[in-house]
Amino acid sequence: MPKMDLSGLRKYTVLFILLGLMAFFSLASPYFLTARNLTNIVIQNTYFIIVAVGLSFVMIGGGIDLSVGYQMSLVGVITAMAMVLYHLPVWLSVLIGLVLGTLLGLINGLIVSRIRIFPLIATLATSAVFQGISYLVSKANTFRSYPPEFLFLTRGKVLGVPFDILLTLVVVIVASLVYTETTFGYRLMAVGGNEEAARLSGINTKRMKVAIYTICGFLTALATMVMISKANTTNSSFGPGTEFIALTAAIVGGVSFMGGEGSVPALVGGVFVLAVIGNGMQLAGWGTYAQFIVRGLILLGAVAFDEYQRNLRLTQQKGR
Amino acid sequence: MSADYIVEMKGICKRFGGIEALRNVDLELRRGEIMGIVGDNGAGKSTLMKILSGAYVADEGDIYVDGEKANIRSPLDARRLGISMIYQDLALFNNLDVTRNIFVGRELVRGPFGLFVDKKRMYARAAEVIRDLRVDIKSPKMSVARMSGGQRQMVACARAIAFQCKVLIMDEPTAALGVTEANKLLGLIRNLRDMGISILLITQRIPDVLAIADRVFVLKGGQRQDVLEVSKVTLDDVVTLIVKGKDRNGGPAPEVQYKSFG
Repeated sequence: MPKMDLSGLRKYTVLFILLGLMAFFSLASPYFLTARNLTNIVIQNTYFIIVAVGLSFVMIGGGIDLSVGYQMSLVGVITAMAMVLYHLPVWLSVLIGLVLGTLLGLINGLIVSRIRIFPLIATLATSAVFQGISYLVSKANTFRSYPPEFLFLTRGKVLGVPFDILLTLVVVIVASLVYTETTFGYRLMAVGGNEEAARLSGINTKRMKVAIYTICGFLTALATMVMISKANTTNSSFGPGTEFIALTAAIVGGVSFMGGEGSVPALVGGVFVLAVIGNGMQLAGWGTYAQFIVRGLILLGAVAFDEYQRNLRLTQQKGR
Repeated sequence: MSADYIVEMKGICKRFGGIEALRNVDLELRRGEIMGIVGDNGAGKSTLMKILSGAYVADEGDIYVDGEKANIRSPLDARRLGISMIYQDLALFNNLDVTRNIFVGRELVRGPFGLFVDKKRMYARAAEVIRDLRVDIKSPKMSVARMSGGQRQMVACARAIAFQCKVLIMDEPTAALGVTEANKLLGLIRNLRDMGISILLITQRIPDVLAIADRVFVLKGGQRQDVLEVSKVTLDDVVTLIVKGKDRNGGPAPEVQYKSFG
């Protein structure tokens, strides 16, 4: 009996959407399809990709982390203060930031797995806590003028390629390999697909959960470095909002909200779909506020599509 | 400890809160036999088997595997002793293909610290297992989500026997299947026994038990009633024992009352 292979179709959906959008905006604005603008789109989105990759580990494992934007706020001001206020060496400041981010992820993981609070609520709560600490620590100050070594992260080039693009590529390739080649990636897909069955198969699901939130925390901190280096300034309002874009991009990129599904290349495609919409709307003169509406509608649409496919599969199964 | 028995459970007790699910239950499984586990809803069938498979831990009692005392505290412990359980809801992964389902938690690995999965070996081994079982699963890359109930049962069996499995526990394997598929599955269970695997078969379908089991173990109210040789009993004997228990005094068959431990 002929059947549509939806998983195969889905693999390329993002690419088609992306190409469609690019065709559309190149008609809407003559500036869209220029080398300079396209390069800009890539450069401006490296840190979103890194956060989305981090979030994908949590989502594929069947969880969610709404606090990534607020982790960035806290990690950002601490790293900036270490460099600007306390004049610590750049490597030490970055190390402090990365360790802090990893710890914040670990805390989320422990709350979700040990105290067993629904991750949506748990990370909503930690969001508020991280945000509060961020403002308390920074006293709502803005920190700027980082040492040149730190700015190298986004302004330096290696073999003619901006350093942060190389960094993002490394993150994307490694994460891709983790999902497709490693025991950890295989087990993570199993945990996201059926947690109880994974437990009965002898997988330590609690440890797995702690691990994915921790990985997410680390990658979020790494993205924070790129974000504040690019802006060459930071305050506690830097970061919040990122979780929405990363989450939407992940779902648009085929990472299931229910866990157990997703691939890194499609996820990157998801980030660029949102980026192209943002950039295109700006160039076409439709303003920033309309973008919020569009992004919200995209999130709704992507989740609905995800649900629709899931239901389709279920009915297929029952129909036998 | 007689090593004639591959599994012996002695004096097993299990309470859930105030409810006594199992009271001092003994069970002996012979090497290479199919034993039916029957009883009314809430009789303690699944609880007893989950204790053997490590999903629950008994409050009291001992388990011997191959004549040696075993300490089973998790599914992993049971699996190391060669005991696998196929659950009623199958515990499959709909997002994964047949091979990945078979190897979840026991991936064939390569590289330092078993960091990487050995896909080639896993898919080859899965194809082998499917062939050995002589089941109609076309490809080890087939997605489990698209399979029929019978095929899913077969994946669950493949999952159990892909590794050194000595004792296989099946929880209501035929419950959701049509007649043809159920018969196929019963055939598969016989194949498994012929491959040297001892099988514990929980079921409500007494005719299934009479068709393929060597012995039948009857539970009622969390207590062992009797173990019957299938060749020497009739359907009525088994049903009477399930409903009335051991201490029947030859009176008329009682009205059936359904009790549940919830």
